[in-house]
Amino acid sequence: MNYKMKPGLRSLLAAGAVALSATMPMKAQAEETYNLALLSDFSGPYADIMPIWTASREAVLNWWNATSGKELGVKLNYKNYETRYDAAQVASLWPGIKSELDPIAVLGLGGPDVAALSERLPEDKIPMFMATAAYGYAWQPDSWIFNPRPTYSHESAAFLAWMKEQRGGDAPLKAAIMASEASPAYVDMAKGLELYAEEHPEELELVEVIYTEVQPTDLTTQMRRVARAGAEALIIQTNTSIVVAAKRGLQANGADIPILMSSHNGLPASGGALGGLDQLEGDFEAYGMAVAADEDTPARQFYEKLVAEYGLDAPWNVVTAMGMSQGLYASAVIAHAIEENGAEGLTGEMVREALFAAPITTEETRGFLPTLTFTPEAPFPLKGLQVNVGTVKDGKITIEATGVDVPNVQKW
Amino acid sequence: MDPSGIFPTSYRTDRRVIRTRWQAVALVVFMGLLLAAPYLASGRIIAVLNMMMISAVIAVGLQICTGYAGQINLGQAAFMGVGAYTASILASKTGMSFLLTIPLAGFAAALFGFLFGLTAARIKGFYLALTTIAAQFLFHFAVLNLPSSWMGGSNGITVPPAELFGFRIIGETAQFYMNLAVATIMIAGAFGIIRSRFGRAFVAVRDDDVAAGIMGINVAATKANAFLIGAFYAGVGGALWAYLIRFVGVDQFTLFNSIFFIAMIIVGGMGSIVGALIGVFVIRVIQEVIATVGPNIADSVSFLGGDIVFAGMNVILGGVIAGVMIIEPKGLMHRWNILKSSYRIWPFPY
Repeated sequence: MNYKMKPGLRSLLAAGAVALSATMPMKAQAEETYNLALLSDFSGPYADIMPIWTASREAVLNWWNATSGKELGVKLNYKNYETRYDAAQVASLWPGIKSELDPIAVLGLGGPDVAALSERLPEDKIPMFMATAAYGYAWQPDSWIFNPRPTYSHESAAFLAWMKEQRGGDAPLKAAIMASEASPAYVDMAKGLELYAEEHPEELELVEVIYTEVQPTDLTTQMRRVARAGAEALIIQTNTSIVVAAKRGLQANGADIPILMSSHNGLPASGGALGGLDQLEGDFEAYGMAVAADEDTPARQFYEKLVAEYGLDAPWNVVTAMGMSQGLYASAVIAHAIEENGAEGLTGEMVREALFAAPITTEETRGFLPTLTFTPEAPFPLKGLQVNVGTVKDGKITIEATGVDVPNVQKW
Repeated sequence: MDPSGIFPTSYRTDRRVIRTRWQAVALVVFMGLLLAAPYLASGRIIAVLNMMMISAVIAVGLQICTGYAGQINLGQAAFMGVGAYTASILASKTGMSFLLTIPLAGFAAALFGFLFGLTAARIKGFYLALTTIAAQFLFHFAVLNLPSSWMGGSNGITVPPAELFGFRIIGETAQFYMNLAVATIMIAGAFGIIRSRFGRAFVAVRDDDVAAGIMGINVAATKANAFLIGAFYAGVGGALWAYLIRFVGVDQFTLFNSIFFIAMIIVGGMGSIVGALIGVFVIRVIQEVIATVGPNIADSVSFLGGDIVFAGMNVILGGVIAGVMIIEPKGLMHRWNILKSSYRIWPFPY
């Protein structure tokens, strides 16, 4: 059929099309796309938690693309890279990641990523955002690698200060540390707190610093020493195996000393290894991130939203909280960079500058993180640091305290 | 076995590494391709080649110690670590040139290895294996417990980039040429060592140390020398690693790494320098293919989930290594030698 449109009708349709396009937001018309590299470990020591972690941060990025990204006219593409938690693998992958993705930021996982890229990222001008607490050995100025949480020693010092306040009295709190020389990171956790105790004798007395194997079978003797020294708290930020052995050792000695765990070896993980959360009744976890408790918090509400609307397939636990907080603060920094520089021509350097330019508010991270104010002096915020404390009550994880201020921990 | 028509008529010609014209041509072409690689291949490939060359130096050292001298060594990563730390300390604290730090890293590692070589004079087999594992732990605890101003402790050490006449050796290409130069020297040296009286003593001790002793070989010194040389290579490889990553930490040199180096020489073929190189190539290629293909498969077959894909890829890595061992327990180099002999004597069966 040969149909010829009348000139009048054609003009009318053209005018309508122009009018319609004029009403559409300009940003939606020209969507800019940027890439993020997500470093993963599906076959190394974190293989068991990686699916949850990955699903959580990916769900956040999908949510961001559908909401903030759409408003800003930006889409964040992402790709996972398997590093096997091996610095050699990260180092050999990095040139390919750069040439393939040209990422504006990297979402890292752990120590090998930091080791392999700490000297490369400043040259390539690409920032990397981590999810875990920071380490004393990475406490250097002008970093391109950032942690939303302070060091493990900051977090344990905050918990101990809070515990002393709860206990009352002027005497310093007596505490013991369980660490291991299997990893420099574990040594670092202990050394930071040792320095804090040395500089704050009125606050904290470390009665025992015990180094053990990374997979100890029996710590009964060591726990007897801890109990006899009168420890009021036992700090174990290493792994679940040491928590399990220490708990059994305390039970064997009839001692009831509360244990402090961190996020990666926290109440759900250690409770699972011990045979149930009820085994950790009265023990604690403390970190600068939302506690994945059963309460109805803003973080929990946001998690439920991602499950319902963005297909997040992960249980509500601390690993999910870490993955989500990583995605949230990274995307918030990118949003700041876009607001500052526009959607076009965004670079990794602009993203890093945006990190220092304005705080990332707790509202932006949906209550997962406190308000973060980064400065070039450290790879983590040095001011306004806070931790949340979770505990087990009646076999359930509950929030014991929120917004506990972190004391002044000096660099070690 | 030499091809038909190649008859060494002097001791010198009998000791030649390159025995035919085609071997010379192949070597020249291979080296030419390597030299041109940064202009032909992507940055990712060059990064992989960098890792291969560093691994090759370390694996060749292990081949001399274990493959030629028969001294089981599960501490090669610790020796590598000693080299890496030595180079890092010298470069960061004294500003010494890499031309000096690399050989000094080798000497420091050789000294550490020699201590374990002395134990090899009295023990062998499982006992020696356990002793070399001790090297791993000794290194680890020394780094973490000595004053952190010495070896960085848990903080590790940041390494300044290597410099030559004011030119900073950073980036894949520049580091590739540095690694290529060092690896070429070290591998050429390895061929020299195994053809020398030391190399023949290594083989004699490996095959029967009692008989070797009766023949006048100083067995204890030979075993200690094997560790010394193997550790020297590991130390040089460690120094290259330090300049590549530019940050050394004690957890980069684990027993797991040592076992991977052992896997490389077993897959390639024990008692062959080329076998060690083939082993490094095969294992690294499989690792890199898995790391490269995994994300693409995970993206395209998203219903499987990244966890299943990546775990499956590592099962493939283990399966390939196991498969090679089942099909050719003496390593890929042995299979290659059979093929080469068959070709050379064709049409005769033997």
